[in-house]
Amino acid sequence: MAEITLDTVSKSFGAVKVIDDISLTVAAGEFVVFLGPSGSGKSTLLRMIAGLETIDSGRLEIGGRESQNLAPGQRNVAMVFQNYALYPHMSVRENMAFGLRNIRMAPDEITRRVEEAARILEMDALLDRRPAQLSGGQRQRVAIGRAIVKEPAAFLFDEPLSNLDAALRVRTRVELAELHQRMQSTMIYVTHDQTEAMTMADRIVVLNDCRIEQIGTPMEVYTAPATRFVAGFIGSPAMNFLPVQIEGSAAVLADGARVPLTVAPEGAAELGIRPEAVQVVGPDEAVVTGEARVVEHLGDRTLIYAVLPGGAEIIAQDGGRSTVAPGDAVPLRFDTSQLHLFDAAGRALPAA
Amino acid sequence: MIRNSRKESLIAYALIAPFVAIYGLIFIYPTIDMFILSFQDAPLIGSGDWVGSDNYTRLGRDRRFGTAAWNTAYFVALSVLPGTLVALGIALGVSRLSGRLQALVLALFFLPYILPVSVVFRLWDWTLNFQFGIAMHLFDWVGIDRVPIFKVTAWFMPAVAFVTIWWTCGFSILLFLAGLRAIPQEIYEAAALDNTSRWRTFRRITWPLLWPVTALVLTIQLILQLKIFDQVYLFSQGGRPNDNLVMVYYIFQRAFVNDHGGRAAAIAVVLFFVVIIVSVLNFQLMRFAERRQ
Amino acid sequence: MSGPMTAQTARRFNLAGGAITLVTVICAVIWAFPIYWGIISSLKPEDEVVRPVIELWPETLTFDHYWFALTETQIGSWYLNSIVTALGVTFITVTTSMFAGYAISQLRFPGRTALWWLILASFMVPTQVLIINHFVLMANMGLLNSWAGIILPQLIHPVIIIVYKQFFDQVPRDFREAAVMDNASEWRILFKVYVPMNWGVTTALSIVTFIWAWNAFLWPFLAVTKTEMMTITVGITQVWDAFGVYYARQLSAAVLAGFPVALAYLLFQRRVTQAITLSAGIKG
Ligand SMILES: Nc1ncnc2c1ncn2[C@@H]1O[C@H](COP(=O)(O)OP(=O)(O)OP(=O)(O)O)[C@@H](O)[C@H]1O
Ligand SMILES: [Mg+2]
Repeated sequence: MAEITLDTVSKSFGAVKVIDDISLTVAAGEFVVFLGPSGSGKSTLLRMIAGLETIDSGRLEIGGRESQNLAPGQRNVAMVFQNYALYPHMSVRENMAFGLRNIRMAPDEITRRVEEAARILEMDALLDRRPAQLSGGQRQRVAIGRAIVKEPAAFLFDEPLSNLDAALRVRTRVELAELHQRMQSTMIYVTHDQTEAMTMADRIVVLNDCRIEQIGTPMEVYTAPATRFVAGFIGSPAMNFLPVQIEGSAAVLADGARVPLTVAPEGAAELGIRPEAVQVVGPDEAVVTGEARVVEHLGDRTLIYAVLPGGAEIIAQDGGRSTVAPGDAVPLRFDTSQLHLFDAAGRALPAA
Repeated sequence: MIRNSRKESLIAYALIAPFVAIYGLIFIYPTIDMFILSFQDAPLIGSGDWVGSDNYTRLGRDRRFGTAAWNTAYFVALSVLPGTLVALGIALGVSRLSGRLQALVLALFFLPYILPVSVVFRLWDWTLNFQFGIAMHLFDWVGIDRVPIFKVTAWFMPAVAFVTIWWTCGFSILLFLAGLRAIPQEIYEAAALDNTSRWRTFRRITWPLLWPVTALVLTIQLILQLKIFDQVYLFSQGGRPNDNLVMVYYIFQRAFVNDHGGRAAAIAVVLFFVVIIVSVLNFQLMRFAERRQ
Repeated sequence: MSGPMTAQTARRFNLAGGAITLVTVICAVIWAFPIYWGIISSLKPEDEVVRPVIELWPETLTFDHYWFALTETQIGSWYLNSIVTALGVTFITVTTSMFAGYAISQLRFPGRTALWWLILASFMVPTQVLIINHFVLMANMGLLNSWAGIILPQLIHPVIIIVYKQFFDQVPRDFREAAVMDNASEWRILFKVYVPMNWGVTTALSIVTFIWAWNAFLWPFLAVTKTEMMTITVGITQVWDAFGVYYARQLSAAVLAGFPVALAYLLFQRRVTQAITLSAGIKG
């Protein structure tokens, strides 16, 4: 269990900058998720911590030890690979023991640790099998077991669930969260699946385009996105964005409708509002009225894809028994406590 | 990945060291030595005077060299294309079979390739034996006069080419089978739905898709047969070696029978360049064909 | 031009197909017949062998010729020489090629590209042209008529390095990284991960290298003048007085010479075909 600190680290592949001046501290015992779209540099950042990629500039500390120049094996971190990378010619037991044998650990200590890991992961019965004789979920566990036996300062996971089917992914997700609870070790987890991030993370690091967009707890990231990118990336269906002019204490939509605000600087901005904050109401309560185009009944709620008079598209949410039909005029009201404003550069403005 | 490049280089040198040592000793050094020797009037063992290009200019007037070059070319013509066609035919037949029958039939066709040349020589020497060979019964039956095949110059090269095809065909068959397996089955199914005749299927689908493998087989065979020696040497024993000379045989004769190391090296250099030029031409041709596709 | 296949054309297709199958099988039998004929003849008494009739099965089955070959000739020594030299060639070629192939595939070092081009280039050079200089070299080293002298010049098989490099290239990068994270040294990565992961190719390449070395004729024929140092492929054709003009005896010696490689092929058929297609640059 150790703290991991990145201090203004950068990395380029040739002329292409992939990680740009990132600073970040992962507290001891924390479960941090790197979340971001494909190509945003999540894996690269993780691999820089692991030592599989060099760090061009900046400092990396693992458990207080300066580590950016150490070989991967000396950093005392363990990594679980996306494709598990289980050695196909070794049994489960040998797979787990390999890393320990490499550092000439005493055989009985190796046995103890392997058996301990097998017990934690409930795979005692599998120890003498080869990876080819295991199911996807079991392989996943062996990969985690291989990390556990090293008793590392931190665990690094690179999209470890992406090769599992949907049901197994949910189950393993829960197991991983439990494992973290039990072991209380530092874990860094890379994914592009926001559900995984929201459910497991203590804190989420949202990456986009070589940079950190926001660091925060799942709820912070969801309720107070620091940038337009974070706002749009997290949440499903995605947040609605409407171009507005701020005049006085209201945001004026393209068709002239006014949404009251408490504080906000004057000028052009973008109003962000999640579908669940766009409610279908009676005509007299409406801020704006749109025309329903598509109606999706999801059982517990209904999503209404509507077009506003100014031509903007918006997704509204209604109850499960909504009677709105395509073509209907839908009066909408915005929950003003859940409004977000973004300036032209995509930064969040104080709003509401 | 973090790499310690100094350490990595040292490990790499340790790993390639045995190979490089062997390679230097028995490949690079002898090759250079061959060129040097070819400019000397030297016996097989021991040094000789520097004679410039004499050994080469002599080849132009050398009747035996002419025979060797001609016989090699003749042998290549007799074995490469026919051998490839036979292999293609067999591969097409074998590829239609499946399961154990295919494995068995393939093994029967392939077995000769596994045998040492001495065994192949013994088998055919016996089969084609003038007095007792079972093939002579065939001759009698067809009505051809019996001939001591390997003692008659006109029969020699065709017979050796025949035996060589029998011996080495298995290799080409394997390559053709691999090529045939790589053709997706759906293409044939589509053709069958279109009522394409067997011959058209072959002409329009199999043959064009198989062409790269065919080119490969031809190349390998061509280069292999340019280097022929073993069969010619063995079948010439007790016969008329001077009429049956091929290039490697002539190198052997000059060096080991006549003790002319320098002159033999000159022939070796010629063959060296012939094989390399053929290889490079082939390589370029194949690249050209690939680019056109 | 499409339409449902009529029953008639379908039947014609099947008939033609059956005929082709039949022809293929018959051809296969004829193709292998000389081998059968050689074996059968070696099991007949000498007087029966030269009888001018075709006997597909011996009237009297005898192993006398084998007994003769094994007891009255030097075939035992030849066998030993063949086994030792073929195993030597196989072991040295496969291990050195495996190491070099690994270095070229996985490690970065100055001279790597040059070495790779050299190997590809040497692929084109016919080793037969080097016989004179090999002979001189081995004579100078005093290795003629010795196992080492038979083995050394047979060690040039660039194709094996090329195949190894291909296979090591194909191992996903994850395994190397996992091993690095597992603190494995470069040697352990090679011997505990890459080599065991590729046992299949190693087996295949070893078997064909053994077959090639066992079957070698030209070099062992030049390197040895003493009959007791000959390999079996050379011995059975070069020692005139060993068998006399007894066809069945000569054939029995040939059967003995071909037996180990034929057996190796029949036992490891898949591996042999895999290695041979690989050696021609085709993925098996
Ligand atoms: N070895 C490399 N050489 C050059 N560019 C690379 C290399 N590895 C990654 N990149 C580039 O760096 C960027 C970040 O890649 P990275 O693998 O970290 O993305 P990621 O966020 O993990 O994406 P994904 O979700 O698809 O795995 C990408 O644009 C990628 O093309
Ligand atoms: Mg990634």
